[in-house]
Amino acid sequence: MFDEEVYRKLFVEESRENHENIVNNLLALESGEDQQTAIDEIFRSAHTLKGMAASMGFDAMEHLCHSMEDVFSLIRNGGLEVSPSLTDLLLTCTDVIEGMLDAIEAGENPSDEQSGPLVQELMAFAEEGSPVEDLIPPSPTSPPEPPREPSREVGGSPVYRMKVAVDPTSTMKDVRAMLLLQNLEDIGKIRSTTPSRDKIEDGIFDGTFEVVVESDAGEDALRTIASGTELSLLALSPLESYLAAESMDAHEPVETPESPRAPAPQVQKTARPEKIREIKNIRVDIERLDRMMNLVEDLVINRGRLEQIAKKHGIKEFDEALSMIGRSVSDLQNLMMGIRMMPLERIFNRFPRVVRDVANHDGKEVEFIVEGGETELDRSMMDGLSDPLLHIIRNAVNHGIETPEARKAAGKPVKGLVRLTARRDKDNVIINVEDDGAGIDPEKLRKKAVEKGFLTPEAAASATKDELIALLFEPGFSTSDVINDISGRGVGLDVVKKTIESLKGTIKVESEPGRGTKFELVLPPTMAIIDVMMVRINGRRCAIPVSNVVEVAHAKPEAIHRIGNSDAILLRDQTLPLYRLEDMFGRAEKGDTLIVLQNDGRRCCIVVDYVDGQQEVVVKPLSRIAGYCRGISGVTIPGDGDVVPVLDVNTMI
Amino acid sequence: MGRILIVDDTMFMRTLLKNILFSGGHDIVGEAADGAEAVAKYQELKPDLVTMDIVMPKVNGIEALKAIRATDPSAKVIMCTAVGQEQMVKLAVKSGAKGYIVKPFQAPKVLEEVKNVLSA
Repeated sequence: MFDEEVYRKLFVEESRENHENIVNNLLALESGEDQQTAIDEIFRSAHTLKGMAASMGFDAMEHLCHSMEDVFSLIRNGGLEVSPSLTDLLLTCTDVIEGMLDAIEAGENPSDEQSGPLVQELMAFAEEGSPVEDLIPPSPTSPPEPPREPSREVGGSPVYRMKVAVDPTSTMKDVRAMLLLQNLEDIGKIRSTTPSRDKIEDGIFDGTFEVVVESDAGEDALRTIASGTELSLLALSPLESYLAAESMDAHEPVETPESPRAPAPQVQKTARPEKIREIKNIRVDIERLDRMMNLVEDLVINRGRLEQIAKKHGIKEFDEALSMIGRSVSDLQNLMMGIRMMPLERIFNRFPRVVRDVANHDGKEVEFIVEGGETELDRSMMDGLSDPLLHIIRNAVNHGIETPEARKAAGKPVKGLVRLTARRDKDNVIINVEDDGAGIDPEKLRKKAVEKGFLTPEAAASATKDELIALLFEPGFSTSDVINDISGRGVGLDVVKKTIESLKGTIKVESEPGRGTKFELVLPPTMAIIDVMMVRINGRRCAIPVSNVVEVAHAKPEAIHRIGNSDAILLRDQTLPLYRLEDMFGRAEKGDTLIVLQNDGRRCCIVVDYVDGQQEVVVKPLSRIAGYCRGISGVTIPGDGDVVPVLDVNTMI
Repeated sequence: MGRILIVDDTMFMRTLLKNILFSGGHDIVGEAADGAEAVAKYQELKPDLVTMDIVMPKVNGIEALKAIRATDPSAKVIMCTAVGQEQMVKLAVKSGAKGYIVKPFQAPKVLEEVKNVLSA
């Protein structure tokens, strides 16, 4: 009936939205928030999912959603109470739905292997509840039902007896019959029906029924109405005697008024000039956006090339045209960046469920607060950010928040608090995950650092709290051997850090024993196009993000001192570590220009031959063949076609 | 053929219905994703027919139907429904709905209903 692939994507996308809506509202229901809204929302989403799944022919999913809808229909009408076991079951259902959506996205048709037993369980719950009619509660403002009798009195009009059959395949034959009666009332007055109208409208008839109707509209109009969808007219005959018998109660005959649906407005309607329609929103495939972004990047690169050519030739007209192009390209680029931004909600929405599950598993009580979900980030970063955040949040509940008993003993509220916040700084997006749990004990870290050989006993003894906490991000620092509250903090945190760094972000931890822990992630809102300073080191070009550059200075040899294994420079009463980047670029014969770099409040210097200028470039990630190169965040291709590495200052300092 | 306004909270269903209606030679003059939008679009576009989903966020299909019929008593609205929603459809019929189509939609049935309601 339709090209399935065309719909599959749309189906998956909208189903995921509805799936998420169910999960979040189940959690809201459990937390005792606005119950009615949550129930209505779940019902609506389950209903929507059912309808879409049925349209796609995914029977297993349709049945599961249908059962969920049935249960919520009962809950909504007060026929069933929401119990913890029911919530668990429903959440399991959402997990299965998610799995089904994954399968559908991969082009499969999900089986009912997992959903079958769940449907049984849901049905058992539904049977427990008392059946209540599935009705939309009438809103208080809705007007009273219009009277069944037509307002005008029909008198002296011809009366007809008609026999009508409803197609046996009709899904709702009662509604079909009801529509027919309603339509007849629009053009006349129903005198009687066999069986009674109530019975017909309740579907208690064998497929055919008789109507005696009084109407001026004529036989043809009656015929049209009676041969509507799923209807067939078996017989139609004028009934003179009926009129004679009943005409006594007909009062003064009214001039036959036109039927409410007179043809006049119809004509007017078709004659009305077509209004120009405006489509205000469209959905675009992410892949197409990515392709567009690549094209914009190519434009930026080629603009750079053109600028270099222009410089060589100095043609005034060419320069003017180029500056116009330059502006357009910048505008286009900004626009594209904006289009690619997505609210963080897209990934935040799945976390409440995670918190609930981990807390339930550990027997903890946790309140999870999410703020700033509307903060936007480039979508290319969204995917990468999801797992690290998930990890940190899971850890916060699993290892940060104490058991209710421990919290009570410590004089804290029994319910722990995990807060996920996002906000936009001047240049960055800042995401915090805070908990009011046990915090990280530096003494335990100190002990562990020595045990694991990360620090010598002497170094450990003199290590500051920040230095000790920094160890958490070292690969292999934490293992599964459990030392109560801090044990898991280090699990995978090195991977988290690496991922955040690959997104050009930084991660920081602050912790106060007994008070809690705070992870701070600072990310650039977008990473594809940045302003860089081009420098030469040992004759080779290198790009440094301008946001990391504090100043450019002249290096006086007498200011450089050797401290231990490394160099440092005294610059305006400040001692800064000095790097020559020899391992990356080879030893430079002469280099007397200093670039002072800064990241997250910390500074260092590098020595370069000279500064080549500043320009906007597109940073392309290193290919998988090159792998991860510490110190290099990617490469860029300036106008002349050269491939230039971009320095990753975050990992240098 | 008619000028039709499609009301459903999912783009999936709207697309599905749109393609069915297109294949029947109808003109889709607008789409709305909830009841409130449906009422506003109806006033603006004055379509010949509306296909109205029942379960939608904010303002549901039945409230929207009532609102539309209140401003235009000749409005032709077809309810989009599913098995199990008989009571709601009846409520809709009492509120002036002129027809109904049942999900999952079958193109011939949808087109037949639309044709019949338009020609009524």
